[in-house]
Amino acid sequence: MSNTINLTLHIWRQKNLNDKGRFEVYKAADIDTDMSFLEMLDVVNERLTKEGKEPIAFDHDCREGICGMCAGVVNGRPHGHLPQTTLCQLHLRHFKDNETIVIEPLRSKAFPVVKDLVVDRSAFDRIIASGGFISVKTGAAPEAHTVPIRRENAELAMDAAACIGCGACVAACPNASAMLFVGAKVSHIKLLPQGQIEAQERVRKMVAQMDKEGFGNCSNAYACEAACPKGISVSTIARMNKEYFAAKLTE
Amino acid sequence: MVCPFLCAQSSIQKKQITAVTGLFLILFVLGHLAGNLFIYLGHEAFNGYAQKLAGLRPGLYLVETVLLLIFLIHLYLTALLVWENRQARPVAYRQWQMIGEHSIASRLMPWTGTVIIAFVVWHLRDFTFADGDGPRSILSDGQSYGLYGVVYNAFADPWHSALYILAMAALGFHLSHGIQSFAQTLGFYHPRYTPLIRKMSNGLGLLIALAYSSIPAAVALGCLAVR
Ligand code: HEM
Ligand code: FES
Repeated sequence: MSNTINLTLHIWRQKNLNDKGRFEVYKAADIDTDMSFLEMLDVVNERLTKEGKEPIAFDHDCREGICGMCAGVVNGRPHGHLPQTTLCQLHLRHFKDNETIVIEPLRSKAFPVVKDLVVDRSAFDRIIASGGFISVKTGAAPEAHTVPIRRENAELAMDAAACIGCGACVAACPNASAMLFVGAKVSHIKLLPQGQIEAQERVRKMVAQMDKEGFGNCSNAYACEAACPKGISVSTIARMNKEYFAAKLTE
Repeated sequence: MVCPFLCAQSSIQKKQITAVTGLFLILFVLGHLAGNLFIYLGHEAFNGYAQKLAGLRPGLYLVETVLLLIFLIHLYLTALLVWENRQARPVAYRQWQMIGEHSIASRLMPWTGTVIIAFVVWHLRDFTFADGDGPRSILSDGQSYGLYGVVYNAFADPWHSALYILAMAALGFHLSHGIQSFAQTLGFYHPRYTPLIRKMSNGLGLLIALAYSSIPAAVALGCLAVR
């Protein structure tokens, strides 16, 4: 048996990059609690479309918590209040009947709002691109055991690689800093043998790009870790700090 | 020249220089505390320590200059960091939940820091540049007790003591975040030791605040007799 609830939504509406934006109030009536947050927005949008109004723009793709496209700040928390859950995997059974919900875009100078809840996160792509390449021998695929990897490193690299680049860390950070994202990206390559050759250059360039994009500085508040839907640890930031320190010393 | 050099550093370097200057300031805070605690050994020990320190004079000027420089660098960089952080989110959230283990402590840093600067200025006027043999050093028996007397008289005023203790609380808060932040900023992380460091950071912050505050408290409670 599924239940239904009624919600009042305060949603950020912004026509385009230059619009100032404002909150608008919508009613979401008789919403099935088995729906995800995004499905609820779909229902609202369908109604808006029927009424001839502009539907609410929001990002999404996989809707199964793996692509990192969905994002939004729900009642003051990126991806809502459930730990380690993306917005698309947040179900309405975690909300109360007649609850008022405030939905805002990720707010950061480096993530300009394109429309409503959609922000431009290409700053992340540019940081990744600035990291450059890794050097590998081409030719026939080598036997897998020729490059031994410590089990611990394999695990830590895998943990860091779980980052889906959704930007929740930036949204949660009191300083809109991207350190958790960049820390995760630096860590997952640095922990593997394939990442060693360009390691120092990589961390220097990625941090330089991060600074250029206008993110804030890290204050070690650890809000990013608490908000991350993939549970990326701030140990990745410490690793990046150490790598960066060493890279600058030997520059 | 210093400014362009510091401004030109990356975000992580600015943080790392802040952390290293912070460490030197912590060492100073600990050294200063050790000196203060001589007061419990009586006025001879306390004044003797103060005179010995003053006896190091020409060399001490050098140490003081370096300390001042470190303080100014810490101040300048943290102001710059806070300024940049404000710029990074031009449109504020309507609703905002503070999450993360150190969110409150880290957001208090600029405020506790400002209290520390105000305190340092006041404190230098109060004790460092005080006339050690002047009227402020004379205790109830009509004799001058040097710096010991100055400190005793100052803390005999409950408002004076209250302000001092407030400033020490700010210092304690600053360090409760600062010490563990230092480890993280310089890249130390260990699944077992990091939680310990975070606990120790809180503990040491509290301990330093309590140890400094114990002196005005002792005067107020009459535990520090005129000897
Ligand atoms: C005895 C004096 C002081 C000591 C021992 C001290 C120590 C520290 C330490 C260890 C840190 C951590 C650095 C890091 O994040 O890794 C720190 C950060 C900070 N300090 Fe101080 N500090 C002192 C005075 C001040 C003053 C006078 C200010 C000026 C307002 C100040 C403002 C800050 C701020 C804003 C931060 C945080 C920077 C950030 O995370 O972005 N501090 N301090
Ligand atoms: S839509 Fe892919 S993670 Fe939410």
